[in-house]
Amino acid sequence: MAEISTIARPYAVAAYKLGKESKSLAKWSEMLGFAAAVSSDAQMQAYIQDPKVVSSDLLATFLKVAGDKLNEHGQNLIKVLVEYNRMSILPAITSAFEELKAQDEGTLDAQIIAAAKPSAAEIKDLVKRLEAKFGKKIEATVSVDSELIGGIKIIVGDTVIDASVKGQLQNLAYTLSA
Amino acid sequence: MQLSTSEISELIKSRLENFSTSAEARTQGTVISVTDGIVRIHGLSNVMAGEMIEFPGNTFGLALNLERDSVGAVVLGDYEHITEGDICKCTGRILEVPVGPELIGRVVNALGQPIDGKGPVNAKMTDKIEKVAPGVIARKSVSQPVQTGLKSVDSMVPVGRGQRELIIGDRQTGKTAVAIDAIINQKGQNMTCIYVAIGQKASTVANVVRKLEENGALAYTIVVAATASDSAALQFLAPYSGCTMGEYFRDRGEDALIVYDDLTKQAIAYRQISLLLRRPPGREAYPGDVFYIHSRLLERAARVNEEYVEKFTNGAIKGKTGSLTALPVIETAAGDVSAFVPTNVISITDGQIFLETDLFNAGIRPAINAGISVSRVGGAAQTKVIKKLGGGVRLALAQYRELAAFAQFASDLDEATRKQLDRGRMFTELMKQAQYAPLSISNMAITLLAANKGYFDDVPTNKVLAFETSLHGFMGSKYKALMDGIESSKDLAGDNEKAVEAAIQDFKATNAY
Repeated sequence: MAEISTIARPYAVAAYKLGKESKSLAKWSEMLGFAAAVSSDAQMQAYIQDPKVVSSDLLATFLKVAGDKLNEHGQNLIKVLVEYNRMSILPAITSAFEELKAQDEGTLDAQIIAAAKPSAAEIKDLVKRLEAKFGKKIEATVSVDSELIGGIKIIVGDTVIDASVKGQLQNLAYTLSA
Repeated sequence: MQLSTSEISELIKSRLENFSTSAEARTQGTVISVTDGIVRIHGLSNVMAGEMIEFPGNTFGLALNLERDSVGAVVLGDYEHITEGDICKCTGRILEVPVGPELIGRVVNALGQPIDGKGPVNAKMTDKIEKVAPGVIARKSVSQPVQTGLKSVDSMVPVGRGQRELIIGDRQTGKTAVAIDAIINQKGQNMTCIYVAIGQKASTVANVVRKLEENGALAYTIVVAATASDSAALQFLAPYSGCTMGEYFRDRGEDALIVYDDLTKQAIAYRQISLLLRRPPGREAYPGDVFYIHSRLLERAARVNEEYVEKFTNGAIKGKTGSLTALPVIETAAGDVSAFVPTNVISITDGQIFLETDLFNAGIRPAINAGISVSRVGGAAQTKVIKKLGGGVRLALAQYRELAAFAQFASDLDEATRKQLDRGRMFTELMKQAQYAPLSISNMAITLLAANKGYFDDVPTNKVLAFETSLHGFMGSKYKALMDGIESSKDLAGDNEKAVEAAIQDFKATNAY
């Protein structure tokens, strides 16, 4: 069984390429975001998964709900997805698309978790350093977690930079028990 | 287990000293699924193939499948506490096990952790379990013998230091017995032994360890055990761990002997892992690389030359060759050597010792089939005296088999044929040997000389072994100097041969058996 992200990738790549060619990445992003939101609605979910619903009905309903939020290309994507019975992976397509878009724009999402709220200057300095390290524009979201006790933890994609007291205590515990 | 307080504080002190508090950058991933010890992980974008992955709860895994959107890893040990959504991280390390002389006399698991209750292994070094075998330049041809102490093996299928000799046969044919006897006979031969038990019952392993201990063999032996209750991952890794421990000695100009008991079970464990990782099954449902798991393991058993040892030790050890001799064991089903794994391992090794159920049941133990057992390189390494005297054994047994088949139809036989049959029967009887009773070179030489010169011819077949035992006792007490001479020179010079013959005549004249 292939994984959902593997199935979603070709759709996302197709949408991305089309959006890039027609210089409408922003529009695509908006459309996919909207479609994903619609498809993840509980009622819609149940409707999509209902085996009694004929695919042409599903398509008509979905397009009706979407209204004029989807342009011609967006509607075509939905048609293809309904035809291949892949409506349930719409959210995965959207996230894969956003990843591709971010890559294209050279931005990386960074999660900065700090024990105490850092000052704006500190965040600015941190982002600058992260940009130097990863060679890309960093879009940081800052949150506060007092469980870290002290220090900060930065998550950029799969990479985690742990400079928190909690992490170091865990390491110490591991070193002593090993 | 007793631990003194100073020991504990020393331990903690050294660990605190080595503990650094710098910020740690690592790659992490999320567990997607856990099924039968196989974990699928999302993320871990920088993971290496074969890298160790750290799971919560001080558990480690091994990354085996690197796919586009996920990583397939096998958990080493318990996996019940790992759940979907757990965070795991890369360690940047390939799996390592402790190596060194500190392991000798110990029983460890596939990760090198002690399981014999004798306290921690204070090994100073660790080494990677997967290593590339020495290349052609680093090798030297096999020219020194490994004495197994078994008459039939040493005379007909000699094993040399650095050779890979397969022990193959059905269940209950004495495969382990041959290997254990070979280990027991290494006492005082400058050989470190490693016994790797794969997928065996824990009670069987305990028995082997006890037997080694009773015979004083544990003093130079490391036992690596991955029992049937250990996870498939550990059963798969155990041979590589043992091999790394053996290579420590090989690379330092010493000799080591490793027994893999048995590789069939390792292949089965690997098949389990591969199928759970959804790798495509091939013949007998084994994955495509089942040949490679055995070839890369057995290729590491080698004799390395002086330059290699000198280079490896940075000039500390000069002019010594190192060797790692492997005795892999393969279990066949109903004597079928054309099954997948047996054919693979037969083609990899430098010969095989073939054990048969029929022979075993007929009381011929070790149940070695002399016709199809071969040693492709051992002849060059055979002890001089055994080579000189043992040449006739194989021939006599071959002729005996041929004649015995014919003689079943003929009612009366001519004198020459009958004599040859008698001789064959005598040799067959003489090749029998009790378990845990390996013979020294001198005793083996006396037996073979007596047989070659016809001193056994007038001994009834059922008395052959009794005759041999009392002959050895007699020679050991009355002609000790002569025996010691053979033992140390490992040869039989012209004068000595006459002296031995005279001694045997003396024995026959004066002793009853």
